[in-house]
Amino acid sequence: MAPFYKYGFFGDEMSLVLAFVLGTGFGFFLERAGFGSARKLAAQFYLYDMSVFKVMFTAIVTAMLGVTYLGWLGWLDLSLVYLVPTHLVPQIVGGLVLGVGFVVGGYCPGTSVASLATGRIDGFVYAFGIGAGTLVYAEVFPWIKGFVNSNGMGQVTLPEVFDLPWGLVVFVVVLIAVAGFSAATLVERRFGDKA
Amino acid sequence: MSSDYRPAAMPGSGRPASPYWNPYLAGIGLGLVLLAAFVLVGRGLGASGAFSSTVAWLVNLVAPAHAQSNEYLQGYLGDGTTHPLKAWLVFEVLGVMAGALFSGLLAGRARIAVEKGPRVSTALRLLCAFAGGILMAFGAHLARGCTSGQALTGGALLNLGSWAFMLMVFVGGYSVAWFMRWQWR
Amino acid sequence: MIELLTTRHNPLVDPTLHVWEWQIPVYLFLGGWVAGSMVLTGYLQRQARAPGQSSVSDRLPWIGLVLISLGMGALFLDLEHKLYVWRMYLTLQPLSPMSWGGWILLLVYPVLALGALATLADGALDRWPRLGAFARQLQSHTATRWLSVANIVVGIALGIYTGILLSSLGARPLWASAVLGPLFLVSGLSAGAAFAHVIAPGHEEQEQLLRFDNLFLMTELGLIALFLIGLLTVGAVHAQAAQLLLGGPFTAVFWVLVVGLGILLPLAIQSLTLAGRIPHTVIAPLLVLSGGLALRFVIVFAGQYSEWISP
Repeated sequence: MAPFYKYGFFGDEMSLVLAFVLGTGFGFFLERAGFGSARKLAAQFYLYDMSVFKVMFTAIVTAMLGVTYLGWLGWLDLSLVYLVPTHLVPQIVGGLVLGVGFVVGGYCPGTSVASLATGRIDGFVYAFGIGAGTLVYAEVFPWIKGFVNSNGMGQVTLPEVFDLPWGLVVFVVVLIAVAGFSAATLVERRFGDKA
Repeated sequence: MSSDYRPAAMPGSGRPASPYWNPYLAGIGLGLVLLAAFVLVGRGLGASGAFSSTVAWLVNLVAPAHAQSNEYLQGYLGDGTTHPLKAWLVFEVLGVMAGALFSGLLAGRARIAVEKGPRVSTALRLLCAFAGGILMAFGAHLARGCTSGQALTGGALLNLGSWAFMLMVFVGGYSVAWFMRWQWR
Repeated sequence: MIELLTTRHNPLVDPTLHVWEWQIPVYLFLGGWVAGSMVLTGYLQRQARAPGQSSVSDRLPWIGLVLISLGMGALFLDLEHKLYVWRMYLTLQPLSPMSWGGWILLLVYPVLALGALATLADGALDRWPRLGAFARQLQSHTATRWLSVANIVVGIALGIYTGILLSSLGARPLWASAVLGPLFLVSGLSAGAAFAHVIAPGHEEQEQLLRFDNLFLMTELGLIALFLIGLLTVGAVHAQAAQLLLGGPFTAVFWVLVVGLGILLPLAIQSLTLAGRIPHTVIAPLLVLSGGLALRFVIVFAGQYSEWISP
């Protein structure tokens, strides 16, 4: 019965070794997709290369389908998989700030690690910026703590919010993804030549 | 052409750099790694938490009293019985480095370089990278996770906050893209 | 005062307390690296060379002198009674690896220094005629042969000693393994080969050293397996010590920093370099060296953590 760690198949130390192994796969596929390059990533926002959208949604759909089927088979107890609690307004603001940071800096934290590991100086400087930002955030945290923790809705999923069956939401997400992929390809054709 | 440039070759390799993988293939690979994380350890992938652990560790080295009295850093220092760097995300990010390095070397894409458009100077690009990093840190901490920890992981688990977050990342990005185009094109 | 008199409170007696800090692992690592370097120097000195052809074995003795001095510096910092070092050399205790080590180190310096002298070029030889005459004698065929034998013998002795030093300290069950000597020797050889193929002047030699390094890394993996299997099967206390690396507090650091980043990743990169898929860079050797350092740290720290209290 999965998740194996939560069922005590191995301890904390072994979970760290697995973290490294899983991270290796994560980093490998990020770099394979071209996400070690800020130019490739930023292209998403200039519409001539929609790889960020395509890779991200393919990954989300793959993992979502896997989780769903394993749950239905009774092999994976989804209630034991950690879900980040929802705080809607802070997360909306955070998303906006992060999106701006993405276009200004060219990376997100995970991709900056992939880029600095492949020798990109801007990726290294970006990661350094994240460190500096974290330091500042820690200092101002007492003043914004109230806002960060506002709007707490607990661990809540889309099927629960819209009161729909899990399978239906999964189906809708797959449909949106497929439609999105075709749209993305059309957009690339339209804007790609201007590069 | 869907991608407008090919990665530059590594010096000394004598071969051109390989093209990137098909995005759907890379996405399936990424999704399977994410699924494996759910099944094996019951949590998703992430990255920003590793930066928090590292910063907490460094501040604790330089100014232990300050770090231990800081409400945010405390959470990453733990109770003092284990090393602050002995965190799941720190080891995961170490793996990301190893995996990306291996892939980059294998494809001939690993090289010391700055990624930027043709119109921007290196100094300005690096300044932007630094500023973007600071913004990213704030965004990720406000949202309780970054593109990997929130969007990817929470997205696959149909987490409400993650989907709201993901939508806003694209909104935020597209809304400033026009003003930043000198940096990339 | 009473606390000092009860032995369990004396930090130098109670085996669960850490007495050794960073100095000892650093010293063991540098010592192992020099040992590996010496063995490789000795091996390369035996290879036929075209006149005027340079070899990395001309550079290694010089670097060895620097490294062993750094290592001795670290060891010296660890000593409680720094002014009494000379007393080590008033006696040879045949049953004490510490004593053997002191004497082996005393042999390392002259062998390295002679090797370095033998590499002096004509310009330097003419400037100091007496030294030059001596160095020319060292460059003769017979002297080179003897020097190569001395390098290999002293190198192997030094490499094994860095492991045996720990094995002989009976109070720590993790170290009570005969594999530790060969393991540290092979780890030192891989560090030596990794560094040597970075600074090797010729392409052929570089490829040869890459092959050697891969062989050493694979052997190291095998020895790590033997080390753990040995501890697991010999008794409960030792099995408990092995658990420090198999689920206990040193597991993550050991498998990630030593095995993953220090052996498997560079092995993969170097194999693909030999296959012509990845250009030769300093990345893999840097990983090998940091893996070797991590191995000494983990074994020394985990060893001090292990104790003779049965589970």
